[in-house]
Amino acid sequence: MTLTGFTAKSALRNRRRSLLTILSIAFSLLLLTLMMAVWRGFYLTKGTPAGARRLMVRNRTSLTFPLPAYYGQKIAAVPGVKAVAPALWFGGVYKNNKPQNFFAQIGTDPKTFFQVYPDYGIPPAQWAAWRRDRAGCVVDARLMAQHHWHLGQHLFIKGTIFPVTLQLTVDGVFHAPPGFEAIYFNQKYLQKAMPPLTSIAGMFYVLTDSSKNVSRVERTIDGMFQNSPAPTRSETERAFFLGFVNMLGNIKAFILAISLAVVFAILLVSANTMAMSIRERIREVAVLKTLGFTQRGVVGLFVGEAVAIALLGGILGTAGAAGLIAMGGQSPQGALLKAFTVTPGIVAAALLVAVVVGLVSAALPAWRAAQHSIVEGLRHAG
Amino acid sequence: MTTTAPFPAPAKTVAEPDIVEAEHIGKVFHRDSFEVVALEDVSLTIARGDFVALMGPSGSGKTTLLNMIAAVDRPTSGTMRVMGQDIYRLNDREAARWRNEKIGYIFQTFNLIPVLTAAENVELPLLLTRLSKGERREHVETALRLVGLQDRMGHLPKQLSGGQEQRVAIARAIVSDPAILLADEPTGDLDRQSAAEVLEIMTRLNQEFRKTVVMVTHDAHAAGYAHVTRHLEKGHLQA
Ligand SMILES: Nc1ncnc2c1ncn2[C@@H]1O[C@H](COP(=O)(O)OP(=O)(O)OP(=O)(O)O)[C@@H](O)[C@H]1O
Ligand SMILES: [Mg+2]
Repeated sequence: MTLTGFTAKSALRNRRRSLLTILSIAFSLLLLTLMMAVWRGFYLTKGTPAGARRLMVRNRTSLTFPLPAYYGQKIAAVPGVKAVAPALWFGGVYKNNKPQNFFAQIGTDPKTFFQVYPDYGIPPAQWAAWRRDRAGCVVDARLMAQHHWHLGQHLFIKGTIFPVTLQLTVDGVFHAPPGFEAIYFNQKYLQKAMPPLTSIAGMFYVLTDSSKNVSRVERTIDGMFQNSPAPTRSETERAFFLGFVNMLGNIKAFILAISLAVVFAILLVSANTMAMSIRERIREVAVLKTLGFTQRGVVGLFVGEAVAIALLGGILGTAGAAGLIAMGGQSPQGALLKAFTVTPGIVAAALLVAVVVGLVSAALPAWRAAQHSIVEGLRHAG
Repeated sequence: MTTTAPFPAPAKTVAEPDIVEAEHIGKVFHRDSFEVVALEDVSLTIARGDFVALMGPSGSGKTTLLNMIAAVDRPTSGTMRVMGQDIYRLNDREAARWRNEKIGYIFQTFNLIPVLTAAENVELPLLLTRLSKGERREHVETALRLVGLQDRMGHLPKQLSGGQEQRVAIARAIVSDPAILLADEPTGDLDRQSAAEVLEIMTRLNQEFRKTVVMVTHDAHAAGYAHVTRHLEKGHLQA
């Protein structure tokens, strides 16, 4: 046996209580880990380098208002702009309204789309095939796998906004980051069925030549259309994404509040367990000190115990969170979860919280117990 | 000073100082607003290798005196030299180390750690030393063999009888090979048979291993195992 072994055995002395404590800490740290993963996914992820060079240009009034199609040429002429692709949200139904069959369908220009999205990794032959195929589409690899599609597959997508049913052929597969799964089809298909659509675009995807120029290009574009009937709003890909997130409310405050509550909860649970456990062992502390343990040694034992319990809870909790995200990401309803990852950094941060909570919760009661005189402790009943 | 005499050296030689020298020890406990005088002007010497029984009615200060010798508590007045060391000059850390190395303490209620096996309980004081794992195991086995419990190493306290528990506690007290064994009513919670076993072990530790033993007891029969019996009465040591 070692002092560490002694600490471990002491920590599990009251099996049921230790287990309950470990489980409540695990549950709290599971929540905390999820919160950190969401925070990272929303606010810390930079996306791909190409993503940092991209802008989304939309109607300033609302996302649901279109822009004139000719804006595309004007935007392409702005210095610093490398490529522009139009985008129109089709909003159709694949098979039925079940959530697992929901995905974005966007009409665009096959020629320029992958100029704006070189990072999506479309094989050149497939891109070429798509450009030649007016009724073709390209699909994200995860959607492809989820629906067991294959190249050449026919997809029927019934319009809800437009009275058109798209009959598309899968011409190619690309790899978008999690959260950006979609299929893109040739906008000409829709324009042929509904000629008035030829003159409008939902929004524009813009690739600039350098991430340093993004904000300048952003200002130039919005300035250019400021006094036109359809003023624009340009934002980076991330800002655009966060715009959706923020529609849900003040997510930052929400995450912070939950995290604080969670840390406070584990602090209380751990402090309560340690206080009980130490109170029951006043006599044992006196015995240990009689055998030659110093005050510091006794404090070390108790703090070690609390840290061990908190760490066990932390390991369970972070593993649970990682498992939950991985499992949720598998299910169609949880597709958004794929945008979140429990990184080693997040695990480390959660475990650090566990360790600090263990330390803080045990330090004071342990110190007080260690100060207790041996004589008093030995006279203590029980 | 080596001796070539064919007999064992006598328990006390002129040149060898007493192992315990207590001078005018007084102890007053403060309880709320009133004071309890537990010891008053106690002077006592114990020779190396002695086996002293400490008797007296309940509340007479026996445990208090034992704690003074063990450096577990400090007196209100007086001085105590143990093995030549003025033990009340030690600070808390030094006193802890002193107890670990020089003192074996045996309690009436055994006070084993319930979650540790017999062997682990015995090993506990050695965790504070620099001994290697192998050395610790060797010491633990020796100590447990000495009390006749080498085949109970892996048992938890609750799997042992009271007598066996006390023998484990004795093994824990002697595992670091201290010079002095202090026992506070070691047979108080035991049946006659177990008490006799414990007293025999104490005698053997005294005679064979030359440990100095101070044993508090209520029991005249138990005191009969000692060389010397001292009586405390209301904090005073009887002549
Ligand atoms: N920590 C303490 N605080 C207050 N009073 C104490 C304390 N320890 C001992 N006393 C008092 O000091 C006196 C001597 O106590 P002590 O425990 O030494 O007696 P004892 O001879 O060992 O008695 P017993 O045979 O019952 O164990 C008693 O009156 C006791 O109440
Ligand atoms: Mg007593």
